[in-house]
Amino acid sequence: MKKQILLVALVAILASGMLFAQGAAETKAEGPIEITFWSLFTGGDGEFFDAMVKEFNASQSAIVMKNDMVKFDNYYTKLTTALAAKTAPDVVVVHQGNLLNYVPSGSLLALDSYVDATTLADFQQAPLDACRFDGKLYSLPFDVHPIVMYYNKDLMAKAGITKVPQSAQEFIEASQKVKQVTGKWGMAIDNTTGVYKAYTLARLFMSMLAQQGGSLLNADATAPAFNNAYGEAALKWLQDLVHVYKVNPTELDYDAAMNTFKLGEAAFYFNGVWATGTLEKTAGLNFGAAPLPAIMGGEAAWAGSHTLAIPVQKNQDPKRVEAAMTFIKWMTSHGEMWAKAGHIPTRKSVAQKSEMKALPYRADYAAAAAFALPTPRTAAWEEIYGTLSDKLEFAVTKNQNPKAALADMEQTVKNIIASY
Amino acid sequence: MIPGNKDTRDGIIFSLPFLVVYLAFMIYPLLSGLYISFFKWDILSTASFVGLDNYRTLFSDEKFYSSLWHTLQFVLMTTPTLLIAGFVMALAITGTSPWKGIMENVFFFPYIFSMTVVSTLWAWLMQKDWGIFNQVLITIGQNPVSWLTNEKLAMWSVALTTLWWTAGFNMVLFGAGIKQIPKEIYESASIDGATYLQRVRHITIPLVSSTTVLCLILQIIASFNVFGQVYVMTGGGPHGTTRVLVQYIYETGFKFFKMGYSAAMSYILFLIILVVSILQYTLLGRKEDA
Repeated sequence: MKKQILLVALVAILASGMLFAQGAAETKAEGPIEITFWSLFTGGDGEFFDAMVKEFNASQSAIVMKNDMVKFDNYYTKLTTALAAKTAPDVVVVHQGNLLNYVPSGSLLALDSYVDATTLADFQQAPLDACRFDGKLYSLPFDVHPIVMYYNKDLMAKAGITKVPQSAQEFIEASQKVKQVTGKWGMAIDNTTGVYKAYTLARLFMSMLAQQGGSLLNADATAPAFNNAYGEAALKWLQDLVHVYKVNPTELDYDAAMNTFKLGEAAFYFNGVWATGTLEKTAGLNFGAAPLPAIMGGEAAWAGSHTLAIPVQKNQDPKRVEAAMTFIKWMTSHGEMWAKAGHIPTRKSVAQKSEMKALPYRADYAAAAAFALPTPRTAAWEEIYGTLSDKLEFAVTKNQNPKAALADMEQTVKNIIASY
Repeated sequence: MIPGNKDTRDGIIFSLPFLVVYLAFMIYPLLSGLYISFFKWDILSTASFVGLDNYRTLFSDEKFYSSLWHTLQFVLMTTPTLLIAGFVMALAITGTSPWKGIMENVFFFPYIFSMTVVSTLWAWLMQKDWGIFNQVLITIGQNPVSWLTNEKLAMWSVALTTLWWTAGFNMVLFGAGIKQIPKEIYESASIDGATYLQRVRHITIPLVSSTTVLCLILQIIASFNVFGQVYVMTGGGPHGTTRVLVQYIYETGFKFFKMGYSAAMSYILFLIILVVSILQYTLLGRKEDA
């Protein structure tokens, strides 16, 4: 027993020694610089990201990148506390929509003096501008991931549909045909919270508002702007698919929607481009991908964007910042590897690469990046987004009166904005 | 008294290792949480003092009330069932059955798993379209059940999972309580012709009452703090109908960056648990003395 305690104590001492040793290695000048990274890629895209980091480490000998994977659910919690304690790693990934949580407090390093004009010019304008706050650049966009449409070619052929539906009415007709002829679901839009909230509803709602010329919030993101005819048309379509035309299952959560489409049980499916990698690996699924159709007339699609940023440290070591920048530049300029996960790369030079052009599906929806919707710039966004998803879930699964639903959502969003 | 032995000094020295850790990791965070609850703070920027504003907001926050209500539902669902299940299991393992050793292990087994493992497992079992539960129901000609996606059932499903997971712990406590009851009491009752149920009712239940009070208090505290199972199994859905208070506290703090508000809600939850525990302790404790 005593021996065991001694052993435990010994291990503890050794382990704590290693902690300090890691700190000491940071200042060591000899050999390659070791820099650290936290990624939130745990799903289908995780393996592609790890492969890129491996390739980066193999491609040069000056920098060794250590990648630590954090579960998506906990990622921002961990990042926030690390930033508050100023112990964050050298490079972090932050969604463009979450940058506003970290930029005003000065937790991220302004990158303007570290990126040359040629590199900047190689980035597509819209996603790059989305990383600028008050004229300063706080991160570089790694990808854009808009919501797109996936369709099952076999089911469409069986139902005798030759043209991919585009408008709200065409979707209803095609879905009804699928249901009548094949007995399968026309659509698989998730509408219930499971592991994830029914974000797809919020994403489609946002997209469809913009497709009619409206928007979720007003221009300076200080008030809701959806309680009108645009909002009603969008919500009604989502509700009617489930309750009037009965071509979309109810109580369908995110994973179930994905599985429904994977198993060939639904003809049309909407999700972010990150689903492509997973769907490709599904044996026997003959599918196509396209930018989000102009369901409500115009072109617009919700989109997220992974960006790479450098946290501010207590003692910022210029050498490590430089190494971090090298890593970020390498990663963004090898976007064709990242595109395998489904995402759309952000650098013009990547789009020209033959490896990029050889990838199936991506070319079909790459155009979607052009009409990607920026995330509203308000600190209240995360709460608005989550709350609206819940409210839309209720409205769609319960077939709530759309006018009442929108009025309630409007009041809730007003209260949320007022609380920040 | 042994010469040279200073009891007070030694007492303090021997308690120090614990006290230091306790002060640093329990008392200090507890107080600093109270302090934070008077500020508007996003963790990263400088905090600004807002007095009692956070507490004022809280009382008009519909989501706070609904989350508290969902927590209360969970407490009401799990506390009696877990106590009864634990007690019945304890009876089984302290009885005369030749299987009692195996039963003890089987009953306690789920408790050794982590919350995430248990919740993920049950979320799969209860999955609407492919889960085993519904597959079994379909095979025997029943309609599938929306275990986790129906607002009326979701919380019950989480409660059922919790029952499976933690009943074994109450069994251990009750088992220890039952084993302390002298055999003679049962023997003389048997001689007087008392049946098994009469013995349980008139001997076991009254004599384990202190264990019952302990279990009840521990159970209510644990149930009020429910978060993990709900978060993993339903994510608070459908449409927020299983969002519990601790989940809302977590979201306001770490997702919405309202640390002060989050701390204020934690303190309300703390007060509720404190009051409930004191009430139980005094009311039930007094009854026992009488």
